[in-house]
Amino acid sequence: MIEMALEIIVMIKQVPDSSEVVIDPVTFTLNRGAARNVINPADENAVEQALRIKDKNPDTHITVITMGPPFAETALLDSMARGVDRAILVTDRAFAGADTYPTGLTLAATITKMGKFDIIYAGEESTDSSTGHVGPGVAEFLGNEQASYTSNSWVEDGFVFAERQLEDGVETVKMEPPCLITVLTNANIPREATLRMKIDSIKKGIETWTLADIGLKPEWVGLKGSPTIVKSMRTINEKKREGKKFGVDEMDKFVDELISKGILNLGDE
Amino acid sequence: MVGLINAEAPESIDDYKNVMVFLESRDGKIKRPGLEMISVGSRMAHKVNEILIGVVFGDNVGQLLKEAGEYGCDKVIGYESPDLKDFRTIPYATLLSDLISEFKPNILLIPATRNGRDLASRIAVRSRTGVTADCTELDVDPDGRILQARRPTYGESTLAEILCRKHRPQMATARPGIFEVPERKSDVRYETDLRKPKIKKEYLKKEVVGFKPKTTVDLTSAKYIVSGGLGLGKAKGFDLIKELADEIEAYVGASRPTVDLGWITRDHQVGQTGQSVRPQLYMACGISGKAQHLMGMKLSQNIVSINIDPDAEINGISDYIIIGDLYEVIPKIIEEIRKRKNSVSKDSKPKKDENEVKEGEVKT
Ligand SMILES: Cc1cc2nc3c(=O)[nH]c(=O)nc-3n(C[C@H](O)[C@H](O)[C@H](O)COP(=O)(O)OP(=O)(O)OC[C@H]3O[C@@H](n4cnc5c(N)ncnc54)[C@H](O)[C@@H]3O)c2cc1C
Ligand SMILES: Nc1ncnc2c1ncn2[C@@H]1O[C@H](COP(=O)(O)O)[C@@H](O)[C@H]1O
Repeated sequence: MIEMALEIIVMIKQVPDSSEVVIDPVTFTLNRGAARNVINPADENAVEQALRIKDKNPDTHITVITMGPPFAETALLDSMARGVDRAILVTDRAFAGADTYPTGLTLAATITKMGKFDIIYAGEESTDSSTGHVGPGVAEFLGNEQASYTSNSWVEDGFVFAERQLEDGVETVKMEPPCLITVLTNANIPREATLRMKIDSIKKGIETWTLADIGLKPEWVGLKGSPTIVKSMRTINEKKREGKKFGVDEMDKFVDELISKGILNLGDE
Repeated sequence: MVGLINAEAPESIDDYKNVMVFLESRDGKIKRPGLEMISVGSRMAHKVNEILIGVVFGDNVGQLLKEAGEYGCDKVIGYESPDLKDFRTIPYATLLSDLISEFKPNILLIPATRNGRDLASRIAVRSRTGVTADCTELDVDPDGRILQARRPTYGESTLAEILCRKHRPQMATARPGIFEVPERKSDVRYETDLRKPKIKKEYLKKEVVGFKPKTTVDLTSAKYIVSGGLGLGKAKGFDLIKELADEIEAYVGASRPTVDLGWITRDHQVGQTGQSVRPQLYMACGISGKAQHLMGMKLSQNIVSINIDPDAEINGISDYIIIGDLYEVIPKIIEEIRKRKNSVSKDSKPKKDENEVKEGEVKT
């Protein structure tokens, strides 16, 4: 295999730990104060996938980027401690309240400013907004090919290959770089950071960019640049289950109940 | 391929009319999640006196046009080209966004399958509009024809209603398995528009170099699931599960230990490390209901537990509980179902029989 020096960008997001999320009943926003922050799980797999390419092609250079509040730097430092070379935090008050459109735009503008790249990695989706739109949205802004929902990807003869897990099968695609790939949470097992690398990453530090650095207008980003709004939110009451009991000798009644309630229709389709 | 452009709203949103649905297909058949878009799409379109426009892509779309029309689209547009055989983001996104410019739909629905979401993300950016992902409720407010897109968030604990007031089309992807498949009717009128586009080479750079179909159908869109657990006691126990499943046209599910023991293949596994399912009926046979299993099935509309242990955790989230040995219970259920099927086919003549007669006539 020909070794290549690749330029890889991984987009990561810090999210509240999903087991600890609290929602503000008035504004319908996340009460982040209450929950611990972690790297979005799928983004850890995206970082790992990039590192695996670097394992094979050691001259590869990996940058992680995130758009988020200043405390999102912990996610960046954590990625560097696993072997990522460079980290950029794009942060500005103007970015607050962004839906997927301005988020993709902001990240695409950041990548444009960074210059040439071969592969962008993103997670399949984030646990807090769970749309999976940001990755492909960035590819659209930049005009690149994409492969979403992948469990594996590799570089061979200058092409990028990826395996996409679809509902009805596994598809292998071949693309020319530059391209974007989104990674599934079960694609790999992310490596642990070592203490040594943790110290190194803190020494190295991260770069911080603002709106002015990426050349977008304030009305294009954040809440103002978002086509969608959250109108309301209600809690979903888990269905109350009656737990109706049937004895072993009552299977005739049981089957009748399923049929009469329309739960089971015999001989349809 | 839009460049760094903000989401500019169109000048006149009143020009946007009708509901458009993208109908994903494979091998000349519309996939079930696409058919589900037809039921919800036509309901919304007809509510505000508009039409439902179906869009199908493929290397041979004749059957797809017919299917889409018979399932309820008022108009069907088919793009046919050997280059459209496989789903590929760029050519699909390009043609669909051209159709959006031409037809100006007020609402665009795409199934929230993996390819559907792949496509929807790019269409939204290209059309400079918003998209609400993975909706489980969709309605249109006649006042202003605003799409009310509702989706579960924060780990399914809340339902958010998301609006896109100023941008068009209003886009949503809809979760498979939620909306019903409409009835197919052969005596309906619909308009078709078959197009044979030339697709630019530069759009075809991504190649699909392999496809391995899954051996079993995915459980996520199943209507009925009969699942077996360690209570089966042996690999052959799944024969009984399959017998019941075949009787009611259900899919077979399994708990993880049965998979780990090699009694059944991994693609049947339900739960945290398996598939998340929400069928109309989930029958848990010899499954204790540990948290990791419940995580993958507790959203099922109706849950039946068959277990010898009256205190099994699964009973706590079941609509129907049968305490007993599954080897005694399941054969009885099968027997009762067979009885009812026999009496149905004697009493009222189902449609299926009529079709069989017709086929017979053609042959002779
Ligand atoms: C990280 C992690 C991930 C996991 N992911 C999953 C997952 O995705 N899916 C999953 O299923 N599990 C998963 N598990 C395993 C899970 O914790 C349970 O061990 C498993 O679900 C139990 O399977 P079971 O109900 O078949 O077996 P058991 O817990 O052994 O239950 C068997 C049941 O059968 C009943 N029974 C016995 N004989 C009969 C009979 N003759 N008739 C009727 N009932 C009978 C018993 O009363 C009992 O309730 C995971 C575990 C871990 C740690
Ligand atoms: N604010 C952000 N900064 C960096 N990457 C992001 C951000 N939001 C989303 N992403 C990336 O896009 C993927 C999909 O996110 P989403 O569309 O929110 O489900 C995530 O897994 C990340 O890789």
